[in-house]
Amino acid sequence: MSPRLALIAGALAVLAALVVAAAPRAESQEQRIERIAAELRCPVCQGLSVADSPSDTAREMRALIAQRVAEGRSDGEIRDEFRRAYGDWVLLSPPLLDARGAVWLVPLAVVLAGLAVVASRLGRAPPLTAPSPDQVALLRARAAEDEEPL
Amino acid sequence: MTPSWADLGSGALRAALPLALWGLAAAAYAAQRREGRALASARWTAVAALALVVTASLSMVAALLSHDFSVRYVALNNALETPGYFSAISLWAALEGSILLWTTVLAGAVTYVAWRGTRELPRLATTALAILFAMLAFFLALMVTPAADPFVRIDPAPLNGRGPNPLLQDHWLMGLHPPLLYLGYVLFSIPFAYALASLILGEAGDRWIVATRRSALVAWALLGVGIVAGAWWSYAVLGWGGYWAWDPVENAAVMPWLAATAYVHSVMVEEKRRMLRTWNLSLVIGAFALTILGTFLTRSGVVNSVHSFTQSAIGPLLLGYLAAILVFSVGLLLWRASRLADSGPVGAPLSREAIFLFQNVLFVAATLTVLLGTLYPLLVEAVSGDQVSIGSPYFDRVAVPLGLALLFLMGIGPQLPWHGASRATLERQLVTPALAAAGAAVLSVALGVRGAWAVLAYALAAFVVATVVQELVRGVRARRALHGEPPGAAFVNLFRRSGRRYGGYVVHVGIAVIAVAIAASQAQSVQAEATLAPGGSMEVAGRTIAFEGLRDVIEPQRRQVVADLRITDSSGEAPLTAALRYYPNATAAIGSPGIRSSAGDDVYVILAAYDGRSRAWATFQVRVLPLVSWLWVGGAIVGLGAVLAALPSARRRERPLAVTVPASSAAGAK
Repeated sequence: MSPRLALIAGALAVLAALVVAAAPRAESQEQRIERIAAELRCPVCQGLSVADSPSDTAREMRALIAQRVAEGRSDGEIRDEFRRAYGDWVLLSPPLLDARGAVWLVPLAVVLAGLAVVASRLGRAPPLTAPSPDQVALLRARAAEDEEPL
Repeated sequence: MTPSWADLGSGALRAALPLALWGLAAAAYAAQRREGRALASARWTAVAALALVVTASLSMVAALLSHDFSVRYVALNNALETPGYFSAISLWAALEGSILLWTTVLAGAVTYVAWRGTRELPRLATTALAILFAMLAFFLALMVTPAADPFVRIDPAPLNGRGPNPLLQDHWLMGLHPPLLYLGYVLFSIPFAYALASLILGEAGDRWIVATRRSALVAWALLGVGIVAGAWWSYAVLGWGGYWAWDPVENAAVMPWLAATAYVHSVMVEEKRRMLRTWNLSLVIGAFALTILGTFLTRSGVVNSVHSFTQSAIGPLLLGYLAAILVFSVGLLLWRASRLADSGPVGAPLSREAIFLFQNVLFVAATLTVLLGTLYPLLVEAVSGDQVSIGSPYFDRVAVPLGLALLFLMGIGPQLPWHGASRATLERQLVTPALAAAGAAVLSVALGVRGAWAVLAYALAAFVVATVVQELVRGVRARRALHGEPPGAAFVNLFRRSGRRYGGYVVHVGIAVIAVAIAASQAQSVQAEATLAPGGSMEVAGRTIAFEGLRDVIEPQRRQVVADLRITDSSGEAPLTAALRYYPNATAAIGSPGIRSSAGDDVYVILAAYDGRSRAWATFQVRVLPLVSWLWVGGAIVGLGAVLAALPSARRRERPLAVTVPASSAAGAK
């Protein structure tokens, strides 16, 4: 097998594995509660989510989420209920389609701008040219000056 | 009043400040006038300043150990009941002591450059020395003003102190994690000072990079290992079953590390290709500025964090220092810009240079993301008055794709030679790593792993490790062919002669191990909660956790409610305790999780609540975190690799032949 075929086969195998792994799964109720809780900030902790915090407040909030899930509310309804109670502050990541969603665009913009700059700086390097005698002399002089002890 | 340790420390700091200013003047004069006697004076001044600052630090430790509550810092951070170990390490339990530790390390860096650096490159290092003396003077000046004076007295002295923050007297790792971070932070001053010195002297070359290669690497490694130690502390002490919360202070430590990771790679482009001069200077300035920003964020109280233990008037001073550093550095950079411009393209698209550039883009994007995410709530509040949060869901969503892209580059980069390779060569090199990645992906799916990110992480980690193994095999073969060495000796000699390259590969393996540990512990964790009566038990992921009962433990410095548990799994039965600890100076209980670690997974038990009256029940949260202990192992591998890369190489004693033929191209040409 040529190297190229082996590479294509390897990439396809990874891709197939990813497709299987990414296949949508039925979400259990606990998983759904956990997912909603992970997006909400525990109000009495230092930056922990409701899912992560072992505090009583977080446990009560998880219980409320569980109750709402059992009542058949949608994710958005549950989130909005907490948002009304605590303000936008309770959401640990701002919605993308929001005035504050700009925070999502920055990483993307930096990567794209960076790639554009890099692309403009890549190309066939010109053959290495030997330094001119003047440059060599300058470097020697500077090196000699520095190597002298003060 | 009889003289005390605090008087000694206070006097030492006040004596050190004029010395630092004298050192600054002497070093600047020595560099400008090429004056040997002034340099000698600066050298001895550095030693004297170091001795004084060390005296001050040890005086503080002595004041803490002797519980001298007439010192405000001791009264606020120590109590008669505090155990000796935690008394001693309370040197860095709060702001003033941390600045004292910082200054001590900085004085060490000044002395190192004064004696070692100036021998190698007299003019450049002497200029850098003047800059380092200026920084030392700033921190000493902070400590003789009320803003951060560690030795301020209170009269009358209280009979007992408040005791250290409970979170800081709960785990031995507190003795390790903050000093590692401070060492990392402060050692970045050395490359930064050399970079500025190079700009001041108008050098166009990379001598500042070569001269500070080792200190940059050591600073990078200490910061990295310090971050992992902090994650471990968070895991073992904060009791929430995680190790990384994207807390502002964690972010403050990780930002300079990200920038420095870009730096330690991109300097190689300058050394090999004489390119990216402005960029490398910008990176080292950025990394250094981020260390100061981190200190400002954590110590000024502008952001809420588990780590901002104190708030003080030091914030504006640090902000002014940061602004001065940025204005001075960027001004120098602009002044010298014309001497630093690159000519021509940096490299071919399929070359190691190109991979380093892409790597730099991703690391800079990651740094800016963390910076923006940390500051965004402040910015929004300043503009609109609204309070918003940026937490793990945001950082995870951005960091995971960036991290996986970086893993991919980590596998490709070492396969590509400088100046570029043909596509056919690259394809040949990538076959084994690609097949390893495919194997890992298929195997993990077959073992039941679900979630595309996790599978991709395992595949890319296998890709990276296979790359490194392939490079090692090639290197050993090349040495055997060239020098006829037996395999073992050839392997050892690879590290002895080209420690930088192969040490770097060991670091890559450590990062791959960390990536696997993060993916497994995040994506495959299982959790459960149950309220049990003594004698009851719960089942989690094939283990039985039996609750035997609660008991009260009274210690001098705290009270504990300890839950005795018994955990049964396939390997047998073992006792485990989870506790809630009550400290007199804390309103909330501090959880002390019970952790049963093994190579396969950790069982993490949190005592969440209990019946306060009759001890009739307790609620436990249990998390099973696969492979999480490999995170600490990965951190150790990263540290080991950095040591191998920083060790002086033995290549000078060897014929130059092996040096000029890089292992990969030697093997690829066959």
